Amino acid sequence: MPNILSCFKWVIDEAYIKTGPSLKLDMNFVDYKISDYDKNAIEEGVLLQEKFGGSVAVITVGKPEDTKGLKDALSRGPEKAYFVNDTSFSDLEPSQTASLMAEAIHDRIPFDIILCGEGSSDLYAQQVGPRLAEKLDIPCICYASKIQVQDNQVLVERKVDDGLEVVQAPMPVLITVSPDINIPRIPGLKDTLGASKKPVIEIAGSELNAVSARLETIETRAASLERSGRKFSGDQAGIKALVEALLKEGAI
Amino acid sequence: MAGVWILAENLEQSIELLTIGLQLAGEIGTDLAAISWQPETADDLIAHGVDEVILLPPLTAGQALEAYIPAIVERAQIDQPEVFLIASTLKGKELAARIASRLDAGLGSECQTLCWDAGRKSLVIERLVYGGTGVQKVCCLGRPQMATIPPRTFEPAPCLTGRDGRITQLNVSPFSPVTVLEKKAREHQTRDITKARVVVCVGRGMEKPEDLEKARELAGLIGGEVGCTRPISEEMHWMPEDTCIGLSGKTIKADLYIGLGVSGQIQHLTGIRDTRIICIVNKDENAPIFAAADYGIVGDLYQVLPGLIEEIKQVKA
Ligand SMILES: Cc1cc2nc3c(=O)[nH]c(=O)nc-3n(C[C@H](O)[C@H](O)[C@H](O)COP(=O)(O)OP(=O)(O)OC[C@H]3O[C@@H](n4cnc5c(N)ncnc54)[C@H](O)[C@@H]3O)c2cc1C
Ligand SMILES: Nc1ncnc2c1ncn2[C@@H]1O[C@H](COP(=O)(O)O)[C@@H](O)[C@H]1O
Repeated sequence: MPNILSCFKWVIDEAYIKTGPSLKLDMNFVDYKISDYDKNAIEEGVLLQEKFGGSVAVITVGKPEDTKGLKDALSRGPEKAYFVNDTSFSDLEPSQTASLMAEAIHDRIPFDIILCGEGSSDLYAQQVGPRLAEKLDIPCICYASKIQVQDNQVLVERKVDDGLEVVQAPMPVLITVSPDINIPRIPGLKDTLGASKKPVIEIAGSELNAVSARLETIETRAASLERSGRKFSGDQAGIKALVEALLKEGAI
Repeated sequence: MAGVWILAENLEQSIELLTIGLQLAGEIGTDLAAISWQPETADDLIAHGVDEVILLPPLTAGQALEAYIPAIVERAQIDQPEVFLIASTLKGKELAARIASRLDAGLGSECQTLCWDAGRKSLVIERLVYGGTGVQKVCCLGRPQMATIPPRTFEPAPCLTGRDGRITQLNVSPFSPVTVLEKKAREHQTRDITKARVVVCVGRGMEKPEDLEKARELAGLIGGEVGCTRPISEEMHWMPEDTCIGLSGKTIKADLYIGLGVSGQIQHLTGIRDTRIICIVNKDENAPIFAAADYGIVGDLYQVLPGLIEEIKQVKA
């Protein structure tokens, strides 16, 4: 029966990011969330455990204060959480995250199936999953839309550029899931209360080898999308005015 | 040995990669090589500027492209390219990340601009972050410097006459533990929305798949194509995935975009920002899409759409 490990990232909710003067990103009033598509990775871990038995845990790499994310993740069904944290673990680039996670997992955490999201909501690099598979030297299947466990193998339907492929691989295996694989549950009050009783295993940055970055961020600026927006009413007069405006613009 | 590599997964995108690849090779002062497993495209690649085609043998039954990873990595360790560019197809993104990991290289994902910074002696890349709220400028610290590039980021490289190039056949046995048991084709859009002058985009404000007919009628009337938001293609499966517009779908550069029942989350807006005129219908006047639109109707699309079609028919008559 498989030991399942779902990877999630605790990210800034982009809806709270404002554009400051001279296209600076204003992060003063941001809130955080579980990276959207990582909810699918957590849900799939729980669904697989329900169907095929075994265990399901989550793992995240982040800063020591990111504990809210652990509670949120645990309220979605997993049994325990591994929290790889250090004050220096902010703004990691994908190769660093993958290396830290690989080392943390390698000798400490039993795993047969590691699940990742399609991409993180902040970086959306779509790298950490496949890089982690390489670091752990295990098979990798990306963009899965269906997963089954059979003996010591997984049977996966994955998206490819010209359609779908049904593939098979031996466990242990890493799978990145496409967001259409499931609909993540919405935790209730009971789930939230239960989450605080579940174990969190901390792995401190000092236990791991330091990893240097392979990408350097030179700057991040806001991408402004604001337009002048003229509003019309939904009645006949509004529609007429809109069509007139579009004609004047030479758009239709 | 070539200092700039491209992964030639499919010919059309390879020729786009060549535009930026050749420019970089010129600035660095090096040759360009294409990694390919399709001998039939070698002449085309050379004609469009490739100096060396590094040719991998065909795959055996049940193997997929990831089987080439070890051979590509091994060759990269010998040739030590400075830059390695890969189209950001689904497969391309997976291969890029896995190759980068094995080479301990930095990889810029889905880059929008790339340029050679002679001072840093490095590639400087711009890409979107926070769903499209921000643009991140990065450079790679390891070698090769890797980047994945979305289709149509660059124009195709011109075909040159009388070019010579060499073909290097690699003698390897590709293998991956992931075996393909079955392939299923997916429904495809025959026409490409990235080339359309007008795009009518449907969102979750549409209640049932039959209602898409009205959107198609509007598109037909003004010479446009129908696109959609990600929930419509991926959750509802009402439209093929290659009509999805946004961060994880297509970027359009249309003259006119008409959004119907689209809320305008940043991940979607990112795909329409290069459109000249953005026009939308949404019943919620506080929907974020109003702030990103040039013209908007606050109203129920089920009432507005028929009225709009009628009005356009009249002015066209
Ligand atoms: C990493 C990441 C990548 C993503 N990539 C993409 C992407 O590439 N493309 C994409 O589209 N999304 C993408 N998304 C999803 C995106 O965040 C939004 O969830 C999605 O765009 C919302 O789609 P929608 O506007 O159709 O639906 P909703 O947000 O549900 O909006 C429906 C809108 O319709 C309006 N409406 C309802 N009924 C009516 C009516 N009768 N008349 C008029 N208006 C009506 C409502 O007021 C509402 O504003 C991505 C998300 C993440 C996290
Ligand atoms: N800091 C992190 N901690 C745990 N998992 C992560 C972290 N960053 C990324 N991941 C996982 O890797 C996936 C891809 O991330 P990215 O390469 O940033 O797009 C995410 O969907 C997560 O499943």
